[in-house]
Amino acid sequence: MDFELNETQLMVRTMVKDFAEKEVAPTAREDDINETFPTEILKKMAALGLMGAPIPEEYGGMGLDWLSYGIMIEELGYQSQAVCSTVRAHISLGAQSILQWGSDEQKKKYLPDMAAGKILSGFVTTEPNVGSDIAGIECMAVDDGDSWILNGTKTWCTNGSNADIVIVIAQTDKSLKGRGLGAFIIPTDSKGYSAHAMHGKMGLRSSDSSEIALEDCRIPKENLIGKIGEGFKVAMSAFDRTRYCVAAGAVGALQQCVDASAKYVADRVQFGKQLGQFQLVQEMISEMRVECEAARLLVYRAGCLKEAGKPNTIETSMAKWYSTEAAFRGANNAIQVHGSYGYTNEYPLERILRDVKACTILEGTSQMHKLIIGRDTTGIAAF
Amino acid sequence: MNIVVCCKQVPDPEAPPASFKIDAAANKVAPAPGVNQVISPFDEQAIEAALRIKDGQESTVRVISMGTDLVSDVVKKPLAMGADELYLIQDEALNDGDGISTAYALATAIKKIGEYDLIICGRQAADWDVGQTGVGIAEELGIACVTVAKKVEVVDGKVRVERVVADGYEVVEVPLPAVVTVSNELGEPRYATLKGIMGAAKKQATVMSAADIGADTAKTGKAGAKSKLLKLYIPVREGKCEMIEAEDPAEAGALLAQKLREAKVL
Repeated sequence: MDFELNETQLMVRTMVKDFAEKEVAPTAREDDINETFPTEILKKMAALGLMGAPIPEEYGGMGLDWLSYGIMIEELGYQSQAVCSTVRAHISLGAQSILQWGSDEQKKKYLPDMAAGKILSGFVTTEPNVGSDIAGIECMAVDDGDSWILNGTKTWCTNGSNADIVIVIAQTDKSLKGRGLGAFIIPTDSKGYSAHAMHGKMGLRSSDSSEIALEDCRIPKENLIGKIGEGFKVAMSAFDRTRYCVAAGAVGALQQCVDASAKYVADRVQFGKQLGQFQLVQEMISEMRVECEAARLLVYRAGCLKEAGKPNTIETSMAKWYSTEAAFRGANNAIQVHGSYGYTNEYPLERILRDVKACTILEGTSQMHKLIIGRDTTGIAAF
Repeated sequence: MNIVVCCKQVPDPEAPPASFKIDAAANKVAPAPGVNQVISPFDEQAIEAALRIKDGQESTVRVISMGTDLVSDVVKKPLAMGADELYLIQDEALNDGDGISTAYALATAIKKIGEYDLIICGRQAADWDVGQTGVGIAEELGIACVTVAKKVEVVDGKVRVERVVADGYEVVEVPLPAVVTVSNELGEPRYATLKGIMGAAKKQATVMSAADIGADTAKTGKAGAKSKLLKLYIPVREGKCEMIEAEDPAEAGALLAQKLREAKVL
């Protein structure tokens, strides 16, 4: 077993860390307050090749390995979960779904511009009545000769109001449940597509979460990804990828908590000594650090399995559940370490707490991941 | 245009001072665990200056780094930013030198690796801040040197440099080949790109010893140093706080400015 990162992975870490410190961190607080979508940051990321990082070079991407991609997301997540959310939706839900399941024509048509950041994508399964149970999707796609006509309401679509295309998982035959699902590429300028940005979120406030209304939305027949009946697989494989990214981003957030706390307890003096000299304070930081290291190793293992093309659904679930919950505990403790200062937005910790709470819910709640892991461990399905 | 850039690997100057320890017996800075190695920031700006020239005209940018403890992902950063070739001069005989012996080794290496029109260095390295190497290279090669540049252009076979002076900048033009040392006023160096990183991973650095570059080891490293380090220590810093009292903010500002002038801060 080798715990060393290779030269490329180290260079990616240094580069993205530098970029995120200079370009993401300075506006993270204001973007959170004002719910500002990070358009300018995405443009700068595109110029560096980050918007197509793991897309193969033949489709205009950079061909980055899975572990390097995870490290990239981790370093973005150190500074902003909202930017992380935007990027992982575009790359791992949008572009990589087309890469894995799309036709050659679809790959050639969309991927180069997606990798260059000229086309921003979103992806949505969720509906007002459908969360984790995607076999129960109600949004309908009807075959109409050379077109598909979609009707229904989607919600929690990341990038939905800013994207150029959104991949929608829709039902073609309710009696078939999961076997009737299809994945459809919807250009957002299609007639019958409308998106409404959701406001009032606790966290990820500068990430775009939108409700999507599809009203007789007609799209060309060739916009179906794969075949009818593969929509469930398209969604599940997308979740395997984006859960990895959520986990990696949470590791970054947790590392920020560790670093900020270690710095603060060295500087802050109470009762005539550094905060770090109080044992209960050290306990919180030690727990944070160990959980961060454990989470990182889970994420990196999932990344290595993906790179090797081996099954990784369970390992990805473990990484996603553990990292996001550890990040939430870590942010909570980091605020505690900082006392009343941590409770204000003068420091990024309260934002991290609000943001990583979302990470324990989206892309499968912590409870769903426990059920997935439990089913694999016992052989008994409890849901 | 053949451009050579000298890049030094140093401990991250942004690391807290408490990270650094002095080995008094050896008169050396003890290796600081946990402190990352980086390209000296002024040298990154030297790379940026070279790449700006390359952006405007066909050029080859060769980078030279010297040392025996070089970290590959650190010294390859200039390649990821857009430089073409990397030369690593690695030999124990080159260690523990001063500006003069380092300049001799680098100048010898520059002559060895091929044609050169313009040599760009950082104004000083972030570890020792001596600032002799650039001018020393020019002396060794017998060519002109312009220091503390904020802008570097090549026009009609000459290098035109805006160099920083106390109250602004002056414009200097010298014939090629020449050495230019670059200051932070040049502006932020560009980021490495993912494409650059993937390209850098595929490129192999050319590794050379003192013998390979044809250096006389009596003139390199500690043996060739012209200066002697008598004592190395971390200065004790004392903070003093003086409250400025005034009737209003304007008066307070004026009094503060006066105090700063007296202290020669302004």
